[in-house]
Formats: sequence, structure tokens, C-alpha cells
Amino acid sequence: MGTPEPVGPIRHSLANAVPVVLVERPEAPLVCIDFWCRAGSAAETPAESGIAHFLEHMVFKGSASLEPGGFDLRVEALGGSSNAATGFDDVHFHVLIPPEGAAEALELLLDLVLEPRLDPSEFQMERQVVLEELAQSEDQPEEMALQQLLELACPDHPYGEPILGRRQRLLEHDPARMAAFHSRTYGAGGCALVLSGAIGSRDWMTPLASSRLAALPALSVIAPPPALALQPGQERLSLPRLESARLLMAWQLPPANDLDAIVGCDLLTTLLAEGRRSRLVARLREELRLVESIDLDLHALEQGSLALLEAVCEPEQLPATRRAIEEVWVALMDEPVTAAEWSRTTRLVGNGHRFSLEAAGSVAALVGNQVLWDRPLDLEAPLRMMERWCPERIQRELLPLLAPSLCFSLEAVPA
Amino acid sequence: MSASSGTVLAVSGGCPLLLLPRRGVDVLAARLWIEGGSRLDPPGQRGAHQLLAGLLSRGSGQHSGEALADLVEGCGAGLRCEAHEDHLVLSLKCAPDDAAELLPLLIEMVQQPWLSPDQLELERQLNLQTLQRQREDPFQCAHDALRELLYGQGPYGHDPLGVEAELRSIDQACLRRLVPGLGQQGAWLVLCGRLPDDAEALFSAAMQPGPWMVQPRPGDGVAELVSRVPSGCSSAGRRLACTAEDTEQLILMLGTSTVPLAHPDSLGLRLLSAHLGIGMSSRLFVSLREEHGLAYDVGIHAPARLGAAPFVFHLSSSSDRAEEACTRLLQEWERLISVPLSEAELSLAKAKFRGQEAMGRQTCGQIADRSALVLAHGLPADYPGTCLQQIDALDPGDLLKVAQTHLQAPCLSLCGPGEALRQARRAWERHPLSR
Repeated sequence: MGTPEPVGPIRHSLANAVPVVLVERPEAPLVCIDFWCRAGSAAETPAESGIAHFLEHMVFKGSASLEPGGFDLRVEALGGSSNAATGFDDVHFHVLIPPEGAAEALELLLDLVLEPRLDPSEFQMERQVVLEELAQSEDQPEEMALQQLLELACPDHPYGEPILGRRQRLLEHDPARMAAFHSRTYGAGGCALVLSGAIGSRDWMTPLASSRLAALPALSVIAPPPALALQPGQERLSLPRLESARLLMAWQLPPANDLDAIVGCDLLTTLLAEGRRSRLVARLREELRLVESIDLDLHALEQGSLALLEAVCEPEQLPATRRAIEEVWVALMDEPVTAAEWSRTTRLVGNGHRFSLEAAGSVAALVGNQVLWDRPLDLEAPLRMMERWCPERIQRELLPLLAPSLCFSLEAVPA
Repeated sequence: MSASSGTVLAVSGGCPLLLLPRRGVDVLAARLWIEGGSRLDPPGQRGAHQLLAGLLSRGSGQHSGEALADLVEGCGAGLRCEAHEDHLVLSLKCAPDDAAELLPLLIEMVQQPWLSPDQLELERQLNLQTLQRQREDPFQCAHDALRELLYGQGPYGHDPLGVEAELRSIDQACLRRLVPGLGQQGAWLVLCGRLPDDAEALFSAAMQPGPWMVQPRPGDGVAELVSRVPSGCSSAGRRLACTAEDTEQLILMLGTSTVPLAHPDSLGLRLLSAHLGIGMSSRLFVSLREEHGLAYDVGIHAPARLGAAPFVFHLSSSSDRAEEACTRLLQEWERLISVPLSEAELSLAKAKFRGQEAMGRQTCGQIADRSALVLAHGLPADYPGTCLQQIDALDPGDLLKVAQTHLQAPCLSLCGPGEALRQARRAWERHPLSR
């Protein structure tokens, strides 16, 4: 074809065994620098509720050598931008920047993330911002319903706790508690760095070998959070300011490190709910016209993945909607999947994966998650693993996990 | 035309086709932009263009709605058809090998839509339900009220989804009447990624009933554009809207209507919005969030339009700080029209503007979107490059003049609980900007 084949990820290791992965994308205009750490909300004790996410905010408020706001100013003056995201299992901080500013941005980012200043007055101010973020999410009734579902379905598990934290706990936090969380979780053995996009032929590893990252002490071994054991059940909730009813359902699926199963689950959720001709959308929205929308998303998580279904409908349609979902499940258990349906499913999943390799940021996110959790680095792996699945195997091994009797379901209705 | 801005051809009937080949990617992104979005909804039929857009993929030519979905999803492709304020936008993303099968659909859907009554009813119900669900979002409520202040009953005065009572009354005949107009005020095709060898022929061959006649945009020049796309009639001098909602936060939106993207002052406004709202070093972020902890979400909303585009500050803050939030937001607007940017602020804003250009060109879909937007706003295909040179010439005095010309007398929309509304209203009435 004459087009250069993108090179696969190349893994290096610093002296303290922190992995650094380089993924060049010849067409990318920008470099993505993505620092990953196993410091999501699942690493919190109950007293630390919300501290992982709060720390993600505080990281941008300066380090030993950077003034608050100094990082943003520097990176943005170079034409870059930065952001971060806290999940249940991990947190990552990323910068997108033109190649000529990337080396400087890398040094600054490591400085910020590894030695946050946690200045007391900045801490007070940023707590206000986090409380505003919490208030903003409380004003979205849909988000409140989802949070309720997780609390009910995952009792006594970190996945049932809000990532933003509980207000009372947020008010109690102080810089010392946050520093303790930081030194317990941000260390060699729990973090990884990815550089992707227009990284060119620059020598990245020599400066990294003498960077703060290479000097990061090893973490003491901490027991991982308990395995998820989702509790099936059913609840109904009235929510103020809700306009349409929601039927929310959660099922437990195999954990993220079971790559084979995750690929299969991706195929299954696509077959069920991706596109107009998927089973659930075709039946509930197009034929029966019960719902405005129906979505089924796979959330790959370390202690046990979740499948989350959301149907939006009128309150009086809730029973019929629930019945129709069960019927779709029963039909798929009993009847064969047609060849056309299977081809459609594999092509949607395959293209979805290929398309996600276009932007430096999404490549870094994919690779960062793999390297952080000690999974093989291979951008093509999901495509190859799809070959191991066929409709019969999905029906036999995975579909039973989505049995209506195994889910927790929550009906949210307008108050 | 330079390599970076692509090659412009024309397909049978006159629609321009911009080809943007990109090496090393396994993707093809296609866009068809047709002038005539919700701005051209007929009187009493607000929501008609969105309804039409949704129906384009629900049956056309030889394909039923199911057959179309089978074809598109069967190739693992993604297709969206939607109405924006100024355009109908058809977006397709697929594997390059499926181009021959899928690209012709873009033409078929526009030339021969079925508009079947059964699918119309379904699409109408979905749009009505979406309108209803949007009311859950206090940002949407504040935004709707601001739109009414700025544009009243004018062309930009409603959500592209429509107005419930009117959406209920739109029938097949109403939509049929819109179809011959598609392309009569201009349309643009853009392909980006690994391109088929014969894109032009693929589109032309799809024109079964004869060439799809696309007229060049009537007239030229910004003055013509501004007069053809009126800003609408704002709500008779009313400048404050209060929407009561039992929420934790008060949403504040402060804004005005300005100029089309093709207007010479638009670049200055875009540079100002980079200064105000892009990134964590931006003026609004630093002065309202970092220095006062007033908000998590604060920023600027300034989309491109063919007519008078909105330019809006938005902020959401705890109800108990409503008065302070409102006062500080007004101070920021006041500062914008009275204090020139420092040289440091200006060069930071220019760096962000350039950074945004690169940021928005990472995927074939993004490149195709940006290029289609440029063409559909009457700008030359090399505009993304030339505008970077033009912003270099702007100085703080130019920007202050642009702000003073276009950002006088903003309107304020508030959404939140009663006491917070009262407090914010007090701050508004005290401030000179309200007079």
C-alpha cells in the first residue's frame, strides 16, 4: 500500500522497574504523555472517601518547584493541554502537546505528580472546587440514579462508593491525610508511563533514567481490594427533577485481567445493544417502541467487571420494558445467532478497536491500562482474540452471566 | 491548492468534493454538510429539519430503514444524520474497504428519502422524549432561556430538536416540501483518511434519478451573509431570565449574539475566547475557580454560525454563593470590554489558538469536520492555515475594539433555587452592565 505500518508499543524499564512504553504514531500531530497509577478510589480506606479524586485535583496545584498554576501556564504556552481522570482502579494524568514542547512537559508532569505541594491554603480552595463538582453531579438526577444502583449492587465494596467521595468525609480531609495516601499509592510497582503519538526518534529514555520517576521508591505490598460479589436485587426510587423514568440494571462479569472473557463480553454487549439492528435496540426501541434509548455498557474492572444497562422510558412502560429485556435474553439463550448478525457484531467491535488507535490520547489510554496492570502489550490482541469466540461459545459461557435473576435492577421514577 | 488543504473536485450536479488523503490510517471519514438546518424550519414547524435528518437514514432509494441499518452496521460503520442551526450534517466513519458500498448512501439518502409515516412517527416520539429528558439538566434549562433572550422567535431561537407543540403537528407532506431545497443553498462533501481511487465517480453513479443539483451559495461576501441570516429578534429589550429549579447549584449564563464565522471580527472573538476559556490557565478558570473556588465548571461557549453567533460565559456555583458568583462573572465581562489584554496574555492566547488547531486535527473525523465547517461557512479551504497568520497580526488594541464593538449589553440567564435567583438578580441589578 505504500503506507508506513505503525510500530507496536515498545516497553522499557527504569532502574526501579517502573515501566515506560513508547508507541509511535507517524501521522499524529501531537505527543501524548500519560502517567498511570494504581491509585483509584478502590485504594481508599473508608475514612479516605474521595481522597484519590481530590488528590488528582491537588496535583495541578503546584509541586516543590512549580507554583500553583505554573504547570498549566507552561504547558498551555507551548500549545499543549492537560487533564486527568480518576476511576475505581486507577488514576491517570495526561498532556497533549506539540513535539517540540514534549520533553519539557514530561519533566514538569513528573514533578507535579510525584511531588505535589499540597499547600494548606490551596487545599482549602480546591476543596471548594471538589464540593462544587459534587453539587453539580447531584443536580443531574441520572447520575444520582446510577450512583444509587452501584451502592445497592456492590454493598461493602469500593465499587459501590462514589469516586467523588462523601461530602462529610471531604470536609474532614487535610493535607497530611492526602500526603499519606500519596506516599502509600504513588510508587514504583504501582505506576507506569506511556508516551505516544509524534514521539519521533528522540532519545526519551536517557533523561528518564535520571528523572524523579527512576528515583521513585518501591511501594510496600498492599493487599488488593476484595473481589467484587455483586448482590442481585431490585429497588425503586423516586427522584426529584427526573422527567423520564429509568430502568437501570447491573450484572457482574469476569475481571479485566481475563482478556479472553473481556473480548467475549465486548462482542456480547455489542450484539445486544450496539446499533439499530442490535437485539435490544431493535426490539425495545424500533419495534415495541417502549424506550427512548437503551444502552448496555461494559466496564472492565480489576476486581470484577460490570455490565450496566440503562433504558429511558415513560414510568408506565417500566414493567413492559423489563419484560421485553427478559424476553430478549431468553430468545438469545434459545435461538441460534445468524451468520449475518455475527458478522455485524465482529465488524463493529473490530472497527471500534481499529478506529480507537487513531488519536495519540486513546492509544496511550489503551496501552497505559495494559502496562499498569501487567497485561501483555499488544494493540492487535483484541482483534486476534475475537477469533476464539463464536456465537455458541458466547451463548454457553457468557450469556448466562447476564441472566435477569443475577442482576440488581433499579427503577428510578419522577418524584 | 496546497497538499495540506487537499484537493477540491465537484461531483455531478455541482456539489464540491474535498479530498484529504491521510497516510498510515485504516479509516475513512466522510461528511456531507448541507446548508439549511433548524434556522430554516418553516413557521409553525420548528423541529422539522431535525426530524428530516433523523428520517434520512430510515429508508431511501432501494433500501428500507432496516436494510440501510443492516448495510451500515453490517460493515461495522457509524452513521449520524443531524440538524444543526445552519446545516444538515451527515457523518460516516467506516473501514476504507467499505467505501464503495457505503459512500453512495450519502447521496441516496438526500435525493430519495422515503419519509415513511411509520418511521416518521417513531422518530417524532424519540425527539419528543429527548426534549422532555433534556429538562432534567439545569444547564440545558439555563441555555434554553438564554437562547430565547438572544434570539426570541428568530431563526436561532429554538433547539434544533424543535418545540413540542409544533413537532407534534409536522406530517410527511411538510417534510416532503423540504427535500427539493436540500443543496439549493450550498452543500459540501469532504473525505478524509485512506481514500478510494474513484470517490467522485462513486458519488456521481449514486445519482440514480439524475444529478443532485447543488447551487453554489447565493451571493458572496459577509455583508450578504449577515443580511441573509438575520440575528432574529431578541426578546424586546428583556435582558434577564430566571428559571426556578430546586437544585444545589445556580447556573449562570451571560452572553450576547455576535457575528458569523466569516466576519472579519470573528478571529478576534475566537482569540478572546481562547484567552477566556481554553485550558486551566484561562482567565475565567483562574479568576473564578482557582482564585475563588466558585465553580468546578466554568468556561465559554462560542460556536461558529452563519449568522449572529452566540458568545457566552457559563458558570455553576453553590446556591449560597450566588451573589458573589454573579458579581464576579459580571466583573469579568466588564473587564473584557474595558481592559486590554497584556502582551503576556495575548501571546498565551495565540499559543492556545494554535494548539487548538492541532488538537482538533488528530483523527480523520476531526479533520473532516473542521474542513467541512470551513467550506460551509464560505471560507477558503486553506483558511485554517491563513487564519494562524492573521491572528499573529492582532494586538491588544484590536481585541479591545472587537470586544467593545460586539460584546456590549449582554443578557443573563439564571437557573436555580428561588433564594439564589434573588441574590444573583440583586447583583445583576446593581451592576452597570444591566443598564
